[in-house]
Amino acid sequence: MLWFLRGLRKGVVTTRYPRAAIDAWATSLPSPPAFRSDRLTLELASRLVKSCDSPALQIDAGDLVLDLGFCTGCGICRAVGGDAVVASGEFELASRDRAALVKRIAIGGTE
Amino acid sequence: MTEEQRLAEELRVRTYSLFRRSLHIRTFDSGSCAVCESEIRLLASPYYDLHRLGFFFTPAPRHADLLLVSGAAVRAADTALEKTLEAMPDPKIVVAVGACALGGIFAEDELVHGRVDDVVPVDVYVPGCPPSPLALLHGLLVAVGRLEEKVRGLSFDLREQVAS
Repeated sequence: MLWFLRGLRKGVVTTRYPRAAIDAWATSLPSPPAFRSDRLTLELASRLVKSCDSPALQIDAGDLVLDLGFCTGCGICRAVGGDAVVASGEFELASRDRAALVKRIAIGGTE
Repeated sequence: MTEEQRLAEELRVRTYSLFRRSLHIRTFDSGSCAVCESEIRLLASPYYDLHRLGFFFTPAPRHADLLLVSGAAVRAADTALEKTLEAMPDPKIVVAVGACALGGIFAEDELVHGRVDDVVPVDVYVPGCPPSPLALLHGLLVAVGRLEEKVRGLSFDLREQVAS
C-alpha cells in the first residue's frame, strides 16, 4: 500500500537495486570455492578434481580450472582441500558470456 | 572489439533499454528437480519482492519478454521450449538458470541435451544449485542491462586478492 501511495506521489513505482547493502547472511549461502594457489599442489589439485561430483574442476596446462557454471557449491572440495580451499561467498555470478564463468587458478604450491 | 561487435553491443543496449522499466517473465522447466522453481517462486515473496523492480511473472509466452529456463533440457521438452520461444514477441531474452541448465549435472545422452544452449540461444547464464533469489535478481538485472556483471572481476584465487 505504501508503495502504491509513493507511486501516486512521485509517478515512479519501481525502486533502485539494491536500496541498501545486501544482507550479510547471503555470503554464507552455498557458493563456489576459492583457492589459496600458494598452497595448491598438483597432487592436491588432482584429489580435488577426483572428489568433484560435477565437471566443475579440471586440470589444464598446469592450472586448476574452475567452471562456475558447473559448480553446485556442494563443499566437497573444501572438505578435501583443507586450508587451501575456502567458500568464496560469491553469489552474484550471472554473466552474458559463458566463457567468463571459467576461472583459471595457478597451481603455485610445492610438493 | 571489432566494428561488428561494437554495433551488436550498441543494438543490444538500445533494445534492452526497452525493458528497463517493466519486464514480464515466463518460466520454463526443462526437466529440473524443482528447487530452481522454488527459488524463482521466492522472488515474488514480500522479502525479495521483484515487482518493486518492475518485473512480473506471466503464464503466457505471448506476453513475455524474458524466458527463464531451468533444468537440463530433456529432449521430450524440445518442442515445448522451441514453441514457447517462438510465441514470445521480439525482442526477447533467454536466461538459463542453475547448474543443470548450464551443463554441470547431466551429460548429453539420448534423453537429455545436458545444457539449455544446445536447444535455444541463451543470453544470460545464472550459475548455482540452486541460485538463490538474490542471485536470480542479479541475473535478471544483468539481463536487462541495469547492473553490470561482477564475475569478470573475480579471480577465485585468494593469493591474488590478498596481493591486490
